[in-house]
Amino acid sequence: MWMAHSRSPYSARRIALACFALLLVALFLLPNQIQGLLQYLDGPVGHVVGVPLQAIASIDAGIANRWERYVALQGVQEENQQLRKEIEWLRGQHSQLREFSAATERLTALLQFKEQALPTMVAAQVIGRDATNRYRAIILNKGESDGIKPDMGVVTPAGVVGRVVKTTGASSVVLLVTDPSNSIPGLIQRTRDEGIVEGTQQGMARLKYIPLLSTLRDGDRVVTSGLVGGFPRGLVIGTITNIDKQEGALFQSAELMPEVDVGRVEEVLVIQMSYGQSTKVGAEADVTGKPSP
Amino acid sequence: MKFLFYLILVLLLVPLQTTLLPHLSVWSIKPDLGLVAAALVGIFAGELEGLLVGLAIGWVLNLFSAGELWLSLLTNGGVGILAGFLGRQLTLVTSISLGVGLLLVSLASGLFAAVSFTHLDLSQMWWMVESIALPQACFDGAVGAGLYWLLSQWFHVTRLRTE
Repeated sequence: MWMAHSRSPYSARRIALACFALLLVALFLLPNQIQGLLQYLDGPVGHVVGVPLQAIASIDAGIANRWERYVALQGVQEENQQLRKEIEWLRGQHSQLREFSAATERLTALLQFKEQALPTMVAAQVIGRDATNRYRAIILNKGESDGIKPDMGVVTPAGVVGRVVKTTGASSVVLLVTDPSNSIPGLIQRTRDEGIVEGTQQGMARLKYIPLLSTLRDGDRVVTSGLVGGFPRGLVIGTITNIDKQEGALFQSAELMPEVDVGRVEEVLVIQMSYGQSTKVGAEADVTGKPSP
Repeated sequence: MKFLFYLILVLLLVPLQTTLLPHLSVWSIKPDLGLVAAALVGIFAGELEGLLVGLAIGWVLNLFSAGELWLSLLTNGGVGILAGFLGRQLTLVTSISLGVGLLLVSLASGLFAAVSFTHLDLSQMWWMVESIALPQACFDGAVGAGLYWLLSQWFHVTRLRTE
């Protein structure tokens, strides 16, 4: 508890008020110019702030690693058995897919399709979450100096994570697929119907603008359509869990369970160049998740 | 000396807010330490320093958020200057009055942010206020009151203010 008393000179108050009023006017009249001015400083400031951020993030990761390895081992035996069963099942799937792959190669050669180059990717680590509660975003430890730019797609071997929205010299902010402000063009893998995938407030995703005549059903997989944005065609976004078809509506929509658990993701791949842009020589990683050294 | 203190404060706020606080979040809501810090600086050091430190915090934290820059600058700078004014007008500042003040300012900033999301309809906007802005305002108020109480216990607050 403390008695307030005046200590700043009257002029300081006036300066503060004048500065704030000036800032308000500048922000409303010249928003782009102010942002452009600050962008010159974003790179160096990002590098300086990145030092304590990366240091604390690595300590945090170390503690989490110790916890997972030595303390949180309850239920590992059951999980192990479950995973063994899953491996058996996946082995069967794998051999089937190899057959399909060989058939596809033969058919592609037969049709003389132009060979598509693999996308170039950069591996990055998640070092934090959005500074506010209003966006679902993650912070990566790679930025402009590693060639990352806004609008690049971010994935894991399992599927789509989100899209880069902001970069500094040494870090970048990725808006997750589950954020309502995010939109990614999607395609239902079985029916080939296109739509737009947006996040929901409940932390899921929703495929919107699906044609009314589409024969989609629960369990259908939604992949990137590759039409616009930083994603090549065919990366898994999620699985349809609920279809919403309303009377008199022009389109139907469907709720998706995202393929990647974005709340727990730790390492990601940033797609620097999509199919068609990259050359095979420049390809540093493939879509199966092998990052460049 | 003061400049160094503010520099360290701004540099440490980023890892604290983005890396450590997500572990301590309750129902996925974490307090906005930038807002709390700007308010405390405003109370202890006056409007001008509150404004400048608030703006610096708003800008640096915005580098690590998907949010709009203008909202972050306006909120944190505004809280700094407002806290400076309120600190001067109130004859008695307690941790409770500071907590209530922070709750109200944080709620106002949350409402402003919800309105600025142009793609949301009314029900989504209400959901955002109810599920994000209101719990965060309570969190901010509690953290601000707690920090103020700690500071007033550990240091001689009157001396800190007059220096």
